Amino acid sequence: MNGSVPLRQILVALILLPALYLNFVIYQTGNAWVALAMLIVLALGAFVYLSESAGTFRYLFPGFLGFGLFVIFPIAYMVFLSFTKYSSQNLLDFDRCVGLFRQETVPAGKVSYKYKLYAQDDGQYILYLEDEKDPTKRFASDPFELTPGVEPKVQQESVKLRALALIDEVNGRPLETGQITREKLLVPMRGRQFALPDDTLVGMAGLMKFASRERVWTVNQDGSLTNKKDGRVIKPDFKQGFFVNDKGEKVGVGFRTFSGVDNYIRIFSDPRIQGPFLRIFLWTVAFSGFSVILTFAVGILLAVVLERKDLEFRKGYRTLLILPYAVPAILSILIFKGLFNQEFGAVNAFLKAIFGFAPEWETNPWGARAMILIVNVWLGYPYMMLICTGMLQSIPSAIYEASSIDGSNPITDFFELTLPLVISPMIPILISSFAFNFNNFNLIYLLSSGGPKMVGGGIAGETDLLVNYTFNIAFRDSGTNYGLASAIATVLFFIVGFLAWINLRMTGRRVKI
Amino acid sequence: MTPEQKAVAGKVGAHAFLILFVCLVLVPFIMVISASFREGNFAPSRLVPDKVSFDHWKFVLGIPYQEVVNPATGETRLVRATTPPLLWFWNSIKVSMISSAGIICLSGTAAYAFSRLRFKFRGVTLNTLLILQMFPMVLSLVAFYVILDFVGRYARWLGLNTQSGLIMVYLGGISGYIWMIKGYFDTIPTSMEESARIDGASQFQTFLRILLPMSLPIFAVVFILSFISYMSEYPVASVVLQSSDNWTLAVGANSFLFEQEKLWGRFSALAVLSGIPITTVFLLCQKFITGGLTSGGVKE
Repeated sequence: MNGSVPLRQILVALILLPALYLNFVIYQTGNAWVALAMLIVLALGAFVYLSESAGTFRYLFPGFLGFGLFVIFPIAYMVFLSFTKYSSQNLLDFDRCVGLFRQETVPAGKVSYKYKLYAQDDGQYILYLEDEKDPTKRFASDPFELTPGVEPKVQQESVKLRALALIDEVNGRPLETGQITREKLLVPMRGRQFALPDDTLVGMAGLMKFASRERVWTVNQDGSLTNKKDGRVIKPDFKQGFFVNDKGEKVGVGFRTFSGVDNYIRIFSDPRIQGPFLRIFLWTVAFSGFSVILTFAVGILLAVVLERKDLEFRKGYRTLLILPYAVPAILSILIFKGLFNQEFGAVNAFLKAIFGFAPEWETNPWGARAMILIVNVWLGYPYMMLICTGMLQSIPSAIYEASSIDGSNPITDFFELTLPLVISPMIPILISSFAFNFNNFNLIYLLSSGGPKMVGGGIAGETDLLVNYTFNIAFRDSGTNYGLASAIATVLFFIVGFLAWINLRMTGRRVKI
Repeated sequence: MTPEQKAVAGKVGAHAFLILFVCLVLVPFIMVISASFREGNFAPSRLVPDKVSFDHWKFVLGIPYQEVVNPATGETRLVRATTPPLLWFWNSIKVSMISSAGIICLSGTAAYAFSRLRFKFRGVTLNTLLILQMFPMVLSLVAFYVILDFVGRYARWLGLNTQSGLIMVYLGGISGYIWMIKGYFDTIPTSMEESARIDGASQFQTFLRILLPMSLPIFAVVFILSFISYMSEYPVASVVLQSSDNWTLAVGANSFLFEQEKLWGRFSALAVLSGIPITTVFLLCQKFITGGLTSGGVKE
């Protein structure tokens, strides 16, 4: 490494400098723990690439960093979330929730300001305020964003204003009141609050003026809040994740809170969750099991037929038969969604014409399940076929010759010779295929969307797999219960981990320690 | 039957069986091609379109065209995609290419360490990798969402609704590939590297100049497999990418099939357009891939 030593140092420095700056920015915005973690990682990285004694880790560091950040950390975070109450009702963390209360203001009406809005070249705006009675008191904000015509949905943090000396000028193009109205900037402006350097708040009072406003809630020593207008006191209830008044009623928006094993208890005891959970679990196992058995059966059958040396066009057949594997699965799944359309799809048109009946692929749970299995076999058999072909080619042909002398036929050959020889090296592949189908999110989500709906199952569908159910609880509009979804995902994690562990035992791929 | 007749019957049976299967495979694809040229937005259901129209192709390629609004009066209007769907295909290629390249860099170096170097906890780490790779990304989506949201506050180009953010998440899928590459490295004898070391090459030089050139086939396999799996990835992309000009093919294609209005024609044109190049690449590299599969890759 003689010649390349300075190059390495320069590279490390080039990466480290901007990273350290970002680190500093993160620290400054108050995320001390994140900044500390990042600093440790950076220090480790610098050590690994500069020290001569850390050779091995030079190769491992990038991989481990990616793995830690995007595999381990998300899983750990998910497990953590499963112990919290975190949903659309309890969305914000406690500090932001208190912050929201603190932003509730009423006009105090003592001081009023003239204002001007300056448009910046990059589409942002600067607000300029001048005390109506004392023109020496001038303030200007940093550039901030306003979306024309849109009132901010969530209360945003107030924009900070700083004092402006008399000689200072504000940059940008000043907008007249008329222009402000025309460009629909009044609506978003009214939705925002601005904080003077002494932390008093100002907001729009009418079209022409800004006036000082007063916070409604003051924070007490014990964490409760007092309403200045009527003296009401509300206390945070960490069990419910809400502020409650003295009657125990919820006030305002909820906050995230630690809930212990509540989510897990819910999975196994709440009938609204537990009923669907059990049924979905059984369907998930059945779906994965049947998918593996059927794809393997079709795959090995085709592989055996294609192994006949005297068959013409073997190469052509093989290429055509692996097409379902070569075409991106997402496209094939959506194509099948169209083909299996109950009223206009090709499958039912064909069945009606030939057999005179049209199964309900979309509205009948059994129809939907059959459709999913059919499509999954279509998608999955080429993989099994490819692997079986590889294994068949390693079976010496002598044993078939020997059995044909004994007067065997192809069927007994298949069941007595081929299958037993192929099945044992296939077991690990069958298990990982089971695990893959256990989490086959795309197929269900895009083909049936979990439908038809389970009667009395809430958000659960008859064909939902556990992953889809989890996803729906977390991200579908009527769900958004991140805590519960994380708890189910954690349970799934252990199921999948168990499968993987069995697979490790069977394959012997395990590394001896 | 004589043995000769038996053999002929068996062959005819085999051909019939295979042709039936080939039909089952081909019919859906032919129907999609036909639906993409068929007038109106009907679900794929015909082998040959009854009324041929190129409107769907024009839409997908971003070319404006006249659509008849009222057949009685012959009134038409100009239709043009606000986001040309071809852009989604390009986005997908971009994201999948960069992610796959990143995966190769990260997993290649790590696999080298696992295969050639000895260090503490080597076995435990390898087994952990194997178990964790089975855990699907969908389940940690909540966490990804929170992480990207946080990162986006400091570096907007890496946060939610950015392709670079999506690529970062995709880079987490390295563990399975580390195993594949390590398996390949293990089959290459170390003698050449050892003699290079004796001749004064550094460890990095032996890795770069000797092991890597010999391992190109496995890198090709890993690249293709991860490329294809990311081309088809739906859930993470659908949550991370929100605005339609950022969408990938999977998110965009599904967006044609709303519950209320299913635009099968447009979807079909997009599917044909984007499916053909990927399929061709896959078939061309089929030999490589089959070799890689037996060493433990699973296409998702």
